[in-house]
Amino acid sequence: MIAQYVLNGFVSGMILALPAIGLTLVYGILKFPNFAFGAMMTAGAYIALILNVNFGLSLLWSAALAAVIFAMIAVVIDQTVFRQLRDRDSITLLVCSMGVSFVLENIARFIFGNAARSFDLVIARPKYILGLKVNNEQIITAIIALAAMAAVYFILRHTALGRAMRAVADNPALAAVRGVRRENIICWTWVIAGSLTAIAGVLAGMDRAIDPMLGWNYIVSTFAAAILGGLGNPVGAVIGALAVGIVEETSTLIIPPNYRQAMSFLVIALLLLMRPQGLLGVATIKK
Amino acid sequence: MASYLVTILTLVAIISILGLALNLQWGLCGMVNFGLTGFFALGAYTAAIVGLSGAGTFAATLAAVVVCSLSCGLVALVSLRLSEDYLAILTLGFGEVVRLVVLNEEWLTHGSLGLPGIPRPFWGLVSEDKYEYLFLGLLAVVILILFIALEMLLRSPFGRAIRAVREDDVVAATLGKNVLMLRVKVFALGGAIIGIAGSFHAFYMTYIDPSQFQMIVTAYVFMAVIAGGRGSNSGLLLGSVLLMAAIEGTRYLKDIFNVFDATQLSAIRLILIGLGLILLLIFRPQGCLGEYRLQIKGRESKPRDIAVQTKTRAT
Repeated sequence: MIAQYVLNGFVSGMILALPAIGLTLVYGILKFPNFAFGAMMTAGAYIALILNVNFGLSLLWSAALAAVIFAMIAVVIDQTVFRQLRDRDSITLLVCSMGVSFVLENIARFIFGNAARSFDLVIARPKYILGLKVNNEQIITAIIALAAMAAVYFILRHTALGRAMRAVADNPALAAVRGVRRENIICWTWVIAGSLTAIAGVLAGMDRAIDPMLGWNYIVSTFAAAILGGLGNPVGAVIGALAVGIVEETSTLIIPPNYRQAMSFLVIALLLLMRPQGLLGVATIKK
Repeated sequence: MASYLVTILTLVAIISILGLALNLQWGLCGMVNFGLTGFFALGAYTAAIVGLSGAGTFAATLAAVVVCSLSCGLVALVSLRLSEDYLAILTLGFGEVVRLVVLNEEWLTHGSLGLPGIPRPFWGLVSEDKYEYLFLGLLAVVILILFIALEMLLRSPFGRAIRAVREDDVVAATLGKNVLMLRVKVFALGGAIIGIAGSFHAFYMTYIDPSQFQMIVTAYVFMAVIAGGRGSNSGLLLGSVLLMAAIEGTRYLKDIFNVFDATQLSAIRLILIGLGLILLLIFRPQGCLGEYRLQIKGRESKPRDIAVQTKTRAT
């Protein structure tokens, strides 16, 4: 019984992990919590919906193409909006990302209306593995999320780009001295964050119906995941997301399911009280 | 037309009270409140529930003030030792929890059905068609009192201390200021003002439901504060009038674009509001009116605003 909840939590944690990585990468490079990722998820889901329903592509291809398209949109948003605010403080950027969030969400609302839609997906009978019920959607979610995470891990650990990204996040001035172009790195960070968030939007849309508020349901949980792992730490974000997913699902054994997001808030509050640098974060002296 | 104008002005007044609160928390002390809508809803629901229990509207307002003030203080207390970003996320989460409670605790809030028949202050004192004017007058008095009190606070040693905390909390702490206590006090005080705004919202609408308390309210208030000039109370009042003019003005979009349905029109308005917020931050972050600064005669004051680093600002 509990194992079933843990499994469900694990899978929903995987959906959370993708925007949490995006959030934490953008925070690492640009030093602001990007509030717009909820609306970015929604936008990704709608792009995939068009590809899936109107163009008849399979969901996998739709998700991949939506990731590419939204990565480009994310770069355009950065160049037109966030680039103008590079030297401002993080709160200005945060408020600005709220504006971006309204624009994205309402473009979706303008085109598609408020009605809930869903992907064109073959409904398959759930499988039973070791006595646990596993939906077809859960398997797809796990495969796509794991593939995306593996790709990001490879980029961050084993490519020149990943090294440069870590360098800029760690010490922008030193990275600049060593000839790392910050603007390029920022651009690639948005490509990665944008595509991950869009994929998460597709997975979320598969999990529940697609409507303009889709991403909003994940905002508090994703922030909880990213903070739990220590903002700026991608591996931490994944672990944080899985923990938040499992805590939220198993908490429904005790409290009404509607209060799942409240659990995330509780996690953030307790964590910030006891270990403000995050579970995996290292205590630093703030200048 | 006159009653339309009175309605708009009443909404401007309620947004202004919220703006005064945000200006205190964020403008003066640098503490971002992203859960403004949640605290606003908390105030409105507290006032509504207490008011409906027959305790009188004054007690209802008082209850809203106490509840909002305490919850704001608690949230600020959790954020001790943390940077501004965390407070933003924490307040956002708190707002979300308030929304969940309002939606799900039907025995208390009637969930999405909302609470009808909220009593109004001084109801029956004047005839029903004149009541709107009385209510607006009452709001004007409240704003005036709050405005004067906040301006006095701004110029007091306490006001200087909290601005010092905003500019550099380490320096403020080094100078012997208890940064945590200052922050908690400011946030709780802001919460009290939000409670007033919430209770007046409940009284004015006489019917509240969760759909009135959406994230967009937070965006409106941030826009009003930024448009007016962060840290300036008189700027804020100007900002909320400008904001309402913009919001109400876009209602007439429907006369121009009569091919779109109601959902699309409201989406266009929200897109415009989002764009407005972005453009404001990019092109005029200092707003219309600047912040009050102590001027020393014979010396050019050099504003060195860490939070709003504007290259265009004339010194």
